[in-house]
Amino acid sequence: MDAVALAVLEARLSAIVAEMGEALLRTAYSQILNSSRDFSIAVTDAEARLVAQADHIPVHVGAMPFAARAVLDAFGPAMQPGDIFLLNDPWHGGSHLPDLTLVLPVFAEGRALFLCVVRAHQSDIGGATHGGYNPGATEIWQEGLRIPPIRLGEDGTIRPDLLAMLALNTRIGRDFTGDLMAMLGAARIGAQRLAALAEKHGAGAVMAGVAQVLDLSEAHARRILAAWPDGTWSGEAVLDDDGHGHQDVTIRATCTKAGDTLTVDLSASDDQVPGFVNSSRPNMHSAVCMAFAYLLDPEVAKNDGAFRALKVIAREGSVVWAREGAAVTLCTSHCSNEIVEAIIRAMQHCVPDRAMGGWGRRFRIAITGEDARRSGRRFVWHLFHARPGAGGHALGDGWNTAGEWHSAGGLKFGSVEMAEARFPLHFRRHEFLAGSAGRGTHRGGVGAELHLMIESAGPAFGNTAGDGARHGSAGICGGEDSPPHRYELVRPDGTRRVLRTKETGIRLEPGDMLHVRSAGGGGWGPPDRRAPVLIALDQVEGLA
Amino acid sequence: MSWVIGVDVGGTFTDVVGIAPDGREWLAKAPSTPGDQSEGVLHGLANLAVAAGLTLGELLGATARIVHGTTVATNALLERRGARTAMLTTEGHRDVIAMREGLKPARYDLRLPAPIPLIPRALRLPVRERLRPDGRVETPLDAGSLAAAIRTLREAEVDSVAICFLHSWRDDRHEKLAAEAVRAFLPHAFVTCSAEVLPEIKEFERFSTAAVNAYVGPVVARYLTRLEARLREAGFGGPVFVILSHGGVAPISEAVRLAAATALSGPAGGVAAAVELARRGLGTELVTFDMGGTSTDIALVQEGAAALGRGREVGGERIALESLDIVTLGAGGGSLAHKGAGGTLQVGPRSAGAVPGPAAYGAGGTEPAVTDANLVLGYLDPGRFLGGARKLDRDAAREAVARLGAQFGIDAEQAALGIHALVNARMADGVRVATVRRGVDPRGSVLLAFGGAAGLHATEVARDLGMARVAVPLLAAGLSAWGMLRTELRAQVTRSVLGTEAMPEDHAIAALFAGLEAEARARLSGWVEGDIATSRGAEMRYGEQVFEIAVPLDGVEPTRDGLRAAFAARHRALFTYDLPGEEVVLVGARAAARAALPAGAVASLPVDTAAPLPPRRILLADGWVEAPVHDFSGLPDGAEVAGPAIAESATTTVLLRPGDVARMDGRGWLEIAVA
Repeated sequence: MDAVALAVLEARLSAIVAEMGEALLRTAYSQILNSSRDFSIAVTDAEARLVAQADHIPVHVGAMPFAARAVLDAFGPAMQPGDIFLLNDPWHGGSHLPDLTLVLPVFAEGRALFLCVVRAHQSDIGGATHGGYNPGATEIWQEGLRIPPIRLGEDGTIRPDLLAMLALNTRIGRDFTGDLMAMLGAARIGAQRLAALAEKHGAGAVMAGVAQVLDLSEAHARRILAAWPDGTWSGEAVLDDDGHGHQDVTIRATCTKAGDTLTVDLSASDDQVPGFVNSSRPNMHSAVCMAFAYLLDPEVAKNDGAFRALKVIAREGSVVWAREGAAVTLCTSHCSNEIVEAIIRAMQHCVPDRAMGGWGRRFRIAITGEDARRSGRRFVWHLFHARPGAGGHALGDGWNTAGEWHSAGGLKFGSVEMAEARFPLHFRRHEFLAGSAGRGTHRGGVGAELHLMIESAGPAFGNTAGDGARHGSAGICGGEDSPPHRYELVRPDGTRRVLRTKETGIRLEPGDMLHVRSAGGGGWGPPDRRAPVLIALDQVEGLA
Repeated sequence: MSWVIGVDVGGTFTDVVGIAPDGREWLAKAPSTPGDQSEGVLHGLANLAVAAGLTLGELLGATARIVHGTTVATNALLERRGARTAMLTTEGHRDVIAMREGLKPARYDLRLPAPIPLIPRALRLPVRERLRPDGRVETPLDAGSLAAAIRTLREAEVDSVAICFLHSWRDDRHEKLAAEAVRAFLPHAFVTCSAEVLPEIKEFERFSTAAVNAYVGPVVARYLTRLEARLREAGFGGPVFVILSHGGVAPISEAVRLAAATALSGPAGGVAAAVELARRGLGTELVTFDMGGTSTDIALVQEGAAALGRGREVGGERIALESLDIVTLGAGGGSLAHKGAGGTLQVGPRSAGAVPGPAAYGAGGTEPAVTDANLVLGYLDPGRFLGGARKLDRDAAREAVARLGAQFGIDAEQAALGIHALVNARMADGVRVATVRRGVDPRGSVLLAFGGAAGLHATEVARDLGMARVAVPLLAAGLSAWGMLRTELRAQVTRSVLGTEAMPEDHAIAALFAGLEAEARARLSGWVEGDIATSRGAEMRYGEQVFEIAVPLDGVEPTRDGLRAAFAARHRALFTYDLPGEEVVLVGARAAARAALPAGAVASLPVDTAAPLPPRRILLADGWVEAPVHDFSGLPDGAEVAGPAIAESATTTVLLRPGDVARMDGRGWLEIAVA
């Protein structure tokens, strides 16, 4: 293909994954998808190489090919046009159980060309607690329903008996079914567009073009790497705890930049722990890809080619690569964020102008109960509001309330009005939190303060799942850490209790309030070099 | 019979197109006057009167209607020169517009500078009040906190106030009360209530749109009021309409009330013109390439229609109103060339503007503009620029270009070729953003080149992108203004559907749409006389979804079953499936009334029978050649011109390179087959 045709092909592939994402967003049933966008879309070729990926959730960037690979391993030659595949198990192509992945093969001229991969975080995936995150789990069977690659349907139609079985194993079967149909709709749209592309240009020409696109991305990434100084640096990041008595679980990264390659070695990280902060291997690999993508120029296409210059080394049995059977549900947040943090701490010595202060840690609460306005209908609601701040960087302060490293501004908290209309929740206050950012030449973005009243019919129950109540967001290049998160439960009689980051079965009565104070981002550069005008501006704006 | 006039204010020139009572179309131009655009508009109208052999008073006295495209709101947003604006908002929620729901664009650019909100935090003032989603008042509007906020507004001497309360989409009584109080204490302030701008749930979209409206409202109001007064003074008694971002037009009162909807008013006329030319047979797939003096607007017409969207951002600010999808580049014929920080030749983003203009104007400009380079290359005739209205000084242009060339050790000719090639490449990149980056292959489309400067660059841009066809309308320089006379008047009335039921009873549905239709019709009949057509639509979703889809309801029975069936069909068409048995919710209902603006007869342009023009020496990459010059407004239907050649009309010049073949199309354009 000539240069114009190639540029059109690359853009067309990006447009297809973006359109698939838009369809999923607009049709999904659960709040976590339709309001907070916790999903990702990718297209791979028939060898499971990442061809295109939409700008959704960065922690999925390097994980999607594992799902495609698992489907090919399980079904390979038996794969037929019209097949619909599904999986979620972290040892069979998944990252963690709540992330359900639907895979649709695209055939042309008698052979499989592409796989459309749609990954969406489910509001509930069964298991011992509502909402997908079980801080009490010490093995994966307590975390939810495990699904290896299965053929969910043939001839473009889902098998109703299988769907009923899956839905029955989740707490909100109606949402589960609605979301799965939305995932299928998105995958079908992608498959139709890709088939049209092959029809127009011929399968051979399209796949030759794809190979060229991947090679160009590889060259792009290597050109950037080649300009950085060579050397070996180390960095580490520390988790609060695993919820089962293991504090300060540590991730250690050794990064070696040589010529146009980067090697990241996580072998020195702590051993795996009982609690669910362990990472599955696909998620660990993806977290390293994510950190790598953050350090490169943003224009580098996120595909198989771009990651060829990256080598990942890790040790099975460590917290970043747990053995089969371990609890891992929190891993897409933690320890993903700490993997990134350890790598950035190492690389701040190599490319300080590309390093950024820590983006906030994730601290979620999932609430289940009943809404008097919709009697008999149970809800599960996930907290995405009061997002933490982004890290400061060489070019300026971090974005306020832009979220965590694993999503980098891709998770939306959604409309307060919509949340109040659909859930028995009352947002008394939701504003920036002064003084929450890590100081620096460029400070982190601020976090937020949320006062949330529970108005369920009868008691509701909450689980927390997160980290960062002991350790704030990391300061970098001389910048300071932010203060940590502080979540409190305030009863109508005024009694208060600080919530831990990993709790189950928190009883919430109507009238109870959650007071959330989220951390800002980490600072970049020494605070004493901050421009006086910026200090004054923060005072005027009430953010200092 | 009377005149109708379209007025398009660009960054450099103000174009005025008039359709005379006999159906003839006239074009006049005047330099734009950025300080007060209405001055340039009056000059343009005066020039039109002269061309038509009338006095300004006679022309305006015989004019039925003026349609206007303005960049006042756009410029205020881009240059951050809007009103000093404050916000009154629900206590505890004053950061809605700054939080942006936690979303940040450019996922992998973690060093993207954070945005600065239009309204600073210190002027986002909390007021104690609170509604619940069902419209229940939890906390009545607190007079004390409102008074305190208004005191702050007065001390801060704000010009504009956005009133943004939670759940005002359901019930806007608190916003109305607060607005009354603000008007009482700040009688000169421009007041915007969020529910009046966008009566829909989702506070970020509503508040952000209201903030933009408040920020640009006073600027737009000041300008349009002044314009209207000047027109009245000059003898105009008819209505002035403003083209809005969605391509329809509305009267001045509406354009002021909904000032945020004028953010893309400027380029909307060009898109309307392209749609009209598509209708006349130019082709269904077009890329508009509107290159003026300061900026260039690029848009897509697919299957004969222009794309509309609702997520538009201008200057980084979300405007959740319907608008055309237009890409704007900050470069045009007036862009200045200079030696950049990296030591390379650069063009733009600074522009010579109308004053002082390019060096060739001899009005004090010393830096070379793209126009100066084109003059040095022989592409422009120094005696015929703007139909001879503006004499160009070739020596001054040459000096300016030579001075820049000297910094690189090259002569004036080489520097001019470099500037010309560089601006072509930037234009091609812009077309790429509008097409290739959206996954559309431009090679099957016609590049529709218009605006004063496009003709000299279009064929090279097309060649760069592999596009085989370029069209330059006879009225190239005034096409946007012409397009404004081809739009329709549109009044849209929408209503959120309230109630606890997912779907009202059949009789209530019928009454709802009948009422909306009557209201839309009534609003429009106040603007225009003539036939009014109406159409209906609804916003619907499944019970657990949060995004509605727009369901056209023309020809659909206004009943529960009718609406459900139409929704299911639309959902299937958009998303490949529907969910039988699932609850369907009617969220919003709308009716639109439309009326065509009576337009003049089909283009029959003034045929200029001027004597054949002398050939011109032009510099191409291979050296100087002698190129014949054709007055293309005088070419008969079907006449062909082969490059190298120049085709000139009073307001634009088309450069044909060797191998390019242009053919005059009697429907009103020059069509070029690009080599």
